This record gives sequence, C-alpha cells and structure tokens, in this order.
Amino acid sequence: MNYELNDAVISLRDINKTYPGVVPLHVLKDVSLDIRKGELVSIMGASGSGKSTLLNILGILDNYDSGSYHLDGVLIKDLSENRAAELRNRMIGFVFQSFNLINYKNALENVALPLFYQGISRKKRNALAMEQLERMGLADRAHHLPGELSGGQKQRVAIARALVTKPSLILADEPTGALDSKTSKEVMQVFRDLNDTGMTIVIVTHDPTVGAATDRIIRIVDGSIDQNSKF
Amino acid sequence: MFDLFREISQTIKNNKLRTILTGIAVAWGIFMLIVLLGAARGVVNNYEEESSSSSVNSIRLWSGTTSLPYKGYKDGRWIRLQDNDMDAISGEVSTVSDVAISTTASGFNIVGPKDYISGGFEAVYPDECRTQRIYEIEGRFINQKDINDLRRVIVLSRDNAALLFGDAEKALGEEVKAMNLSWKVVGIYNHRWRKSAFVPYTTYKAITGGDGYVDQMTVRVEGISTDTEAEETESQVRTVLARRHEFDPEDPNAVWIWNQFASFLKQGQAMVYLNLAVWIIGILTLLTGIVGVSNIMFVSVRERVHEIGIRRAIGAKPKNIIIQILAESVVITTIFGYIGIVAGMALLELLKPILEDKAGFSNPTVDISIAVQVTLALIVAGALAGLFPAIKATKVKPVEALRDE
Repeated sequence: MNYELNDAVISLRDINKTYPGVVPLHVLKDVSLDIRKGELVSIMGASGSGKSTLLNILGILDNYDSGSYHLDGVLIKDLSENRAAELRNRMIGFVFQSFNLINYKNALENVALPLFYQGISRKKRNALAMEQLERMGLADRAHHLPGELSGGQKQRVAIARALVTKPSLILADEPTGALDSKTSKEVMQVFRDLNDTGMTIVIVTHDPTVGAATDRIIRIVDGSIDQNSKF
Repeated sequence: MFDLFREISQTIKNNKLRTILTGIAVAWGIFMLIVLLGAARGVVNNYEEESSSSSVNSIRLWSGTTSLPYKGYKDGRWIRLQDNDMDAISGEVSTVSDVAISTTASGFNIVGPKDYISGGFEAVYPDECRTQRIYEIEGRFINQKDINDLRRVIVLSRDNAALLFGDAEKALGEEVKAMNLSWKVVGIYNHRWRKSAFVPYTTYKAITGGDGYVDQMTVRVEGISTDTEAEETESQVRTVLARRHEFDPEDPNAVWIWNQFASFLKQGQAMVYLNLAVWIIGILTLLTGIVGVSNIMFVSVRERVHEIGIRRAIGAKPKNIIIQILAESVVITTIFGYIGIVAGMALLELLKPILEDKAGFSNPTVDISIAVQVTLALIVAGALAGLFPAIKATKVKPVEALRDE
C-alpha cells in the first residue's frame, strides 16, 4: 500500500446515470467516491447493481447525467470523442474479463497498439511493449497470437497492454472471471505487485476472494454506494 | 503511413474471403468498363477512319426512272446522268466543290500473260479511290495527269493481278490487254471485297467515242455543317438535274441520291451517343461494384464492431477508425481495380486482331488518359464506399462495441 492520503486519482461527486427507455432505469444514484493514488480497490455488487456502469464511467467509456468526475485532477464531463479517446489512451489502462486482445495480432503487437495511437514509432513501440511483456514474464511469447496463449497468459498480455502507456489508473473488469482459481491467484498477485510499485488499480468483481485481496472494497447496492463498505 | 499500411495489410490478411469478394466486385466493374470503353473506341475509331476521306462529304447520284409525270412526259421515263451534268452542278450549286463521275464498261476481257478476267472495268476520276474506300494501294491510283493526258493506265485488285500475272508482285509496271489495247498496270490495291479494275474516265471516253452517259456521279460538298444545309445542297443538285433532264424536282425516283454527308452527320451524332451510352453503362457497372464494396465494408465493419470497441477503449480516436476503414477500402478498390484495368486491357489486346479483322473495329483499346481517369475515379469510389461504413463505425459507443461479441 503506497497510496498518499488526499491525493485522489478518482474523485466522484453525486454521479447519476439513467438509461432512457419506456421505463427509465436509474442505474447510479448520487454516487460520491474518492480513490487515492496507489490504492488497490475493488468494486463489488450483485448483478445489475450498477458496478459495470460505474466502471464504464470511470473508464470514460460512458457518460453520466449529473454530478462531477475528476480523473487525476481533470474534469471528465461532456468530452468530445477525440478528447475522451486521448484521455483513455494516456490515463487509463483497461483489463477486461474476456481479455479483448485482437486475435490476428501477436502479443507484442497487441501490447504496442495503444502506443500506435500516440503516434510513437514502431521501433520504440515494440521496445516499450517488449519491456512490459518482460515485466509480465512473457518475453518468450511475444510473437505468439492470442489463440496460442493460455488464459492466464492472455490476461497478462492484456495487463502489459494496460501498462504500456504508463497510465494513472488501471481499471479491471472481472479480470479473473474467465480464469481458473490457480490462474486467478497468479493474476491477482500481478495486480498486487503492480500496486506495490505505486500503481492505482480499481477492480470490478463479484468474486469475494478477489475483493479480499484488495485494500478496500466498495460495495454498490441498487446504484448507490453502501456507506459501510468504505474502509 | 507505413504503420497504416501494416495495419491494413494485417486486416486484409485476416479477412481473405471478404477481401477477395470485395475485390472481385470491383475488378469486374472496372473490367467491364474498360472492355466497353475499348469496344466503343474501336467502333468510333473505325467510323472515324472510314469517314476521314472526303467521300463522306459527298452526295452520290445514280440514274433513275421518273415516278411523276412532268410537262407532258409520262412517268416511268429513264433519266440517265451525263458527264456534262458535272459542269452544270459545279457551276450552279455554291456548296459543291467538285464533281466526279464514273461508269462501268463491260462486255470485254482483261487479258494478262497467265490468264484473263471477263467483265470489264470502271472508268473513273481520281477521287474514286476515296469514294470506294480503297486505301491500301501498291503503286498508285488513277491521278489527274492520267485524266488530262488520256493515259492508258489501269489499277487492278490484288486478287485479279495474281490471276492475270500468276503473282501479284509481278504485275506492277507490266501491261494487260483490254478492248484490244494495252494498259499499263500502275497500281495494285487491297480491299476486303472489291475486285474492279479502274481506268481513267477520259481515256475510256476517248477510246469509245462515248455517248457521255455515266452510271454514277459523286458530288463533293464543302462549307456546310448541318443536316439542313446538306439537304438544301441535295435539293439544289436535284433541281439542276431536273431542269437539264426535264423531270419534276419533287420526283424522288428520277435520280437516286445518297446524301452521305447527311448520313455522316447523323452517324457522327450517333457516335457521340454511343460514347455517352458506353460511359453511362460503364459508370453504372462501376457503381454496382462500388455498392458491392460499400455493402461488404458495412458487413466488415459490423463484423469488427468488437475490435473497433477494443481499439477505441485503448485510445483510437474516431478519425483513426475512419482513416483505417477508408484506407482499407481505397487500397482494396485500387489494387483490384488495377487488376480489372489490366485484365480489361489485356483482353482487348488479345481480341484486337480478331475484332479488327472480323468485326469492323479499329484499334479497340483505351488510352492511358482514360486508364488514369478510371484509376482516379476508383480511388474516389473506394473512399466513398468506405466512408459511410466508417462513419457508422464511429457512431457506436465504445462500451456498446466492447459488449458486441
């Protein structure tokens, strides 16, 4: 735990989100939350509780209706698609349950892809990507396609991709959901090791063992933060 | 740019079937366009070649029979053209630049050292070679000096020269006998179906003493450019002849007239329409290809929504996605379009000898400027085909795209 108090990477105030429809669905209700630099936090909640919506808002993948969201001091509200893409690229590393690797690109190319969108040269991209793969212990798998890798290896490639741009925050959506328990533990250890280097990590999960491995569990119940869950 | 092409080549390799299907649609469209344009060019070239001689600027006349009674004459009277009609027409019709006459002399043989041909020859003026579209001549055709000096010279077809001399190559400069006189062979011509022998009209008339009657007359016109003017000239020629031979100027059968100039103008217009029609058909064919590409690009984008979602989650801006899809589309259209162009041009080259020989085409090819225009059209078309799917791709929210498995 290397976080510094009052140094919020994520600061949410009274966030509300409603999905329109015949019966509008009020998914997030006045959510306020701070996540400080260097924290390893899990967001837990039952299916339909709003935890994925919260993750999407945190990841600038979706908008919110009211309230405010500051990411590393930057107000994230009504951003253009271009600005949102730029912030996602530079500030957030995503890790998904289903890995979301591009199947016709090898591990190295997948890891290097975020840097392509920063306009970095291919040589430098590959060097930085290889650095992250080495960090994940996958240097020997760099030229393998995702189809040739195990689930755990795929998730480590995805983590390497999330790290390659040196983001402020790693957002992981059920990162162990598609893995067996042994591999899950390995992946969680990777997150712990990263957190020990000062990386802020937010994991959305419904798995109590994953939650237990984090410093703090934020529970969401019916779109609201369970106040008892914060520390 | 190099990175972009690497991205594109990876996507193309990963979607071979889709790429090939798209490519076939484009290549086929372009192939058809090139073949159609080439074929039309062949027809137009042929027409232009055929019409490049002065013969198209002419009105041809033959003797006829009256179909209307006139000034006490009954209908059914034979009107025979005479050589002195020539001077009257040239003198009285201002748009006439020249009049040539020809007549067929028959009932005797042309005898060579090896064989003879029966029938006779045509007594003509120099212009006749253009009128009859005789272009390939070894030696020369009848010229003005032959006419002026009443020379006994003859122009033979290659087949007849071969028959008379055993070998056409030996005929030039030699003599043949006809009407009990020697005629020097001054020209051997090649024509698909014409076989007549030609001699100077004036020589023939001097030998036979001639009654001055001729079979046909060719009136060359100048300084006119419209159908109306061509018809006006025709009517003036008919009026002159009607006065000289005393028939009703309104009688269409007294003298047969073929107004080649009016036909030339109409054909010229027809060629413009043909060209236009070919371009329209070609462009529609190409459009079909473009619609095909656009469809396939839509499907391709649909198939890749998830991938696009991943790319956007890790930082691809909408313009990155649009550029990639557009570039993909342009690359596919350009490469396969080029294949279509090459295949179309190759087919035209391959068929050129057959088309030129048998089907009345002349140089049925498309020139490089057309190929360049088509290539540019292709690039624009490729961009258009990719544009709408690309825009659609960026409308999908990243979060929705990521959910799409």
